[in-house]
Amino acid sequence: MFRNYIKIAWRNLRKSKLLTGVNVLGLAIAFAACILLVLTAWRELSFDQFHTNKGRLQELYITVQRPEGEESRSNFPIPLTPALKQDFPEVKAASRFIAISGSIRYHDKTFQADVKSADADLLKMFSFPLIKGEMHQPLNSLSNVVITANMAKKIFGAEDAINKPVEIYLEGEWKSFIVSAVAKDIPDNSTISFDVVCRFENTPGYVSQKDDWGASSNEVFVQLADHATVAGFERRSGTFVNKYFTAILRDLKRDGVAPGKDGQLMSLHLMPITTIHFNSISSSGGAISKTYPYLLLLIGGFILFIACVNFMNLTIAAAFSRSREIGMRKILGAVKTQLVTQLWGEAVLICLLALVTGLVIAYLLLPGYNALFSNKLSLALLKSPGLLAGVLLGFVLVTLLSGGYPAWAIAKINTLKVLKGSLQAGKSNGLRNVLMVTQFVISSLLICCTLIAWQQLDYLRKMPLGYNRDQVISIPLPYEMDTEQALQRMRNSLSGQTGIAAISGAAINMGRGRDGASQSSIIAMDYKGHSVRSNWLRVDYDYVKALGLTLLAGRDFSQAYGTDSSGLVINEKMAAQLGGVQAALGVQLPVLDSAHPLTVIGVVKDFNFKPLKEDIAPLTMNLVKSWPVQYIFVKVAPGDLQGSMALVKKQWKQLYPGSDIDPSFLDENTDRQYRREQRYSGIFISAAILAIIISCMGLFAISVLVMTRRTREIGVRKVLGASVIGIVALVSKDFVKLVLLSVMIAAPIAWYVMDQWLQDYAYRIHINITVFVAAGGIALLVAVLTVSIQSVRAALMNPIKSIRTE
Amino acid sequence: MIKTVNLQKLFSTEEVETTALNGINMEIQDGEFVAIMGPSGCGKSTLLNILGLLDNPSAGEYYFWDKEVARMSERQRAQLRKGSIGFVFQSFNLIDELTVFENVELPLLYLKVPSQERKQKVEQVLERMNIMHRRNHFPQQLSGGQQQRVAIARAVVAKPKMILADEPTGNLDSTNGEEVMKLLQELNDAGTTMVMVTHSPYDAGFAHRIINLFDGRVVTENIKEQFHV
Ligand SMILES: Nc1ncnc2c1ncn2[C@@H]1O[C@H](COP(=O)(O)OP(=O)(O)OP(=O)(O)O)[C@@H](O)[C@H]1O
Ligand SMILES: [Mg+2]
Repeated sequence: MFRNYIKIAWRNLRKSKLLTGVNVLGLAIAFAACILLVLTAWRELSFDQFHTNKGRLQELYITVQRPEGEESRSNFPIPLTPALKQDFPEVKAASRFIAISGSIRYHDKTFQADVKSADADLLKMFSFPLIKGEMHQPLNSLSNVVITANMAKKIFGAEDAINKPVEIYLEGEWKSFIVSAVAKDIPDNSTISFDVVCRFENTPGYVSQKDDWGASSNEVFVQLADHATVAGFERRSGTFVNKYFTAILRDLKRDGVAPGKDGQLMSLHLMPITTIHFNSISSSGGAISKTYPYLLLLIGGFILFIACVNFMNLTIAAAFSRSREIGMRKILGAVKTQLVTQLWGEAVLICLLALVTGLVIAYLLLPGYNALFSNKLSLALLKSPGLLAGVLLGFVLVTLLSGGYPAWAIAKINTLKVLKGSLQAGKSNGLRNVLMVTQFVISSLLICCTLIAWQQLDYLRKMPLGYNRDQVISIPLPYEMDTEQALQRMRNSLSGQTGIAAISGAAINMGRGRDGASQSSIIAMDYKGHSVRSNWLRVDYDYVKALGLTLLAGRDFSQAYGTDSSGLVINEKMAAQLGGVQAALGVQLPVLDSAHPLTVIGVVKDFNFKPLKEDIAPLTMNLVKSWPVQYIFVKVAPGDLQGSMALVKKQWKQLYPGSDIDPSFLDENTDRQYRREQRYSGIFISAAILAIIISCMGLFAISVLVMTRRTREIGVRKVLGASVIGIVALVSKDFVKLVLLSVMIAAPIAWYVMDQWLQDYAYRIHINITVFVAAGGIALLVAVLTVSIQSVRAALMNPIKSIRTE
Repeated sequence: MIKTVNLQKLFSTEEVETTALNGINMEIQDGEFVAIMGPSGCGKSTLLNILGLLDNPSAGEYYFWDKEVARMSERQRAQLRKGSIGFVFQSFNLIDELTVFENVELPLLYLKVPSQERKQKVEQVLERMNIMHRRNHFPQQLSGGQQQRVAIARAVVAKPKMILADEPTGNLDSTNGEEVMKLLQELNDAGTTMVMVTHSPYDAGFAHRIINLFDGRVVTENIKEQFHV
């Protein structure tokens, strides 16, 4: 019997090669897409899951009510962590964590390295296993460092790293350390990462700030005691805040700030380590919103569903044309379960074929996919039991849905009817139409959403930011260098050269440079009895000119004035806090110490010094040397941009032959800010295209079947005088109606969803009705083309042939 | 009115080449009732299809109202066919998704007859075919004889000059067959040229002239009674 089934199955597959092909290919593509999407999502969701103590590990954050609204952050004063360990029995272990340098040296060779400082607890709390050296107390001494295996190989090659002397560039000089242990390489799905880690006491500024509760820098990770709860910790944290943050609380009260929902002005909270990858409060984490991986899974599900629907429709239709075989089997004594098994078995066979093909496609596409979306995925991930189980479950579901339902539907049909042949494929189209509408709703939804997302990103990219992007080169300066001197030397050698318009520097880059950095610092001070907060940006002479900012009052920093080192240039938002653009000029602000106030010498028009996700905030630019310059900005003349870039690189090479820099134009940097969004919108656009393609494959197959069923009708109509166009219109009409209905259902959903998404952006587009018209047009056009292939063929067919088909 | 000269039709498939028609010479006058008879596979349907401008001959000449049409394009044939020829098939070939009324209305739609006139004409012909009470039924809900009456109604509604019928009674019992034949005869009496393929000598008795085909050739022509133009 089984062989008989296989034989029949195989013959059926071969008999309708076109439909089988559409079925297998559609499902295979869907499987492949689904596998890639699931892998991507799985990787994102697997972040920080590898820590043995993950259930107990938390990152601390603080919520502060401010006059401008609530602010949450994960940066803390240095003395907080020792106090925390002392005051909270709930805290079993805690560690501060901060990036302190980018360079490490061994003998005369300098290496780029991600150097972090932390408390000794760090290596006990987190699962960063040591593989060599001092296994128990590797950070016992202040001069010990732990490095990763990869870093050890880079620095020492085949030599043993243990007890080797290295130097780290800190606070303008090389400090000596001894390698005490080598740690296993940190998995790339870890939010917390380092190449080199040393004791926290080596952090620049540690000595002066170790009792300062006013400044905030490092992150704090906590391991809760075995019976402690997050709720218990947070409940008790009020007392702690009142005890240590007295000065800030006093200022907040004085400024009349209203308490938050919990009745507090300031409160400490914990977030589980497994969530920080998705939490933008965390300085280390917050890479993406948690909705993205789930969205990927959802879209993967959608695509698979669309392919399943194709499968279902085709299996049902094909099975009806086999009604004679099935009826005969029934008469010969087959029971319903046998028939269901047989038909379902055929579906499993096709699904299996599709799954294997899909895996092959995924395997072939993976390198390209990784490159396109800068991912590090591998099919080896599929070996993890959870994922494997998920894929198998998905597969079984697909076969049940796509093969099981049709099998059951056919097997239960009345035998006599089947034999009389009065059943025809697609006679009752209700279910088929519902399924097709669902497919096209999903496809249109994806098209609409991706179109809107694309428009938004394009809008952000093209939006004027208030500074010149395409003519300004930004040069990230190496950490270990005397950057003030480097700026001075570049200024001297470049100024006066043709093509160079202005040179300046700043502590912070614009956009996101090739080094990936983007940070900011905020200062607060009292002015006329209320507190004023502002972003604090160290710049250099000619900054306004170099970035092409617009001066509203006063002047740029200039070397021509001897006093500018105590001058400030502020933006409009800051000026508003000081009484307006004109009033702000000449205002003296006690920023650092009240004995030496700084004077406002210029006001510039607001510009977007931060990503467009955020509104423009108050900004104060200064020349205070304790924030060193980290970037040089060179404004070049329009025209030969690449030539100017080459000139800049050449001058640098002449000044610093041994040092490499990686300059970029600011427009590249601002583009880079939206890379994550672009990456995801790239995935979404591909998925949308796939969805519409697979939907149309189904539509095509259905139209083949419908045309086959209607050949006689079409023939009769032709005999009676119908034209080709008339027939194409006649048979396309039904499909077009369904697609139109789908677009009409999808549009409002897409509008709602995307409107929610856009709320995240301070600068956003208005959703335009043309998007829906365009999406509808695309869906309709593709659908009509697909159906037309078949209907034109049918319409052109010789009517005698059609009429002969009974 | 129509005339064929040495008409040939060849079907070539991958394996075999079939000569379905092998030199047919015939002439049919306006208002004539001709029956075509012959054993199965002798080429009756093929001939009828060519006469009905549904297909082109492989060789030979075909004059349709003195116009040589043997090598016309599909479009030209369709244009000529519209409204001038009606077809009746053995298997009715009604469209299952349309009601009786809509089926009959179809040729008029394609002739772009205004709706008021259409309605009137369809009702008139349905009345005549005695099927008016079933106008809103679907073909599957009718008996074979009723279905064939609808098919005839559809064939004549546009008042064609000629009706081609391929075994119109083939699927019917004798009572229903008789009724259909009477209808065809009435139409012929009213002036419509009638060409009918049949296996039944009784049905052939309704015709003025019987053309016997064998292996794609005309073998005999029996003229039943003198036919006056
Ligand atoms: N499309 C075709 N392709 C190949 N051969 C064909 C085709 N149509 C008809 N024939 C062949 O041409 C010959 C004549 O066929 P035709 O249908 O005209 O026969 P017929 O006289 O109408 O037979 P019947 O009385 O059974 O309807 C047959 O041998 C048939 O096999
Ligand atoms: Mg025949």
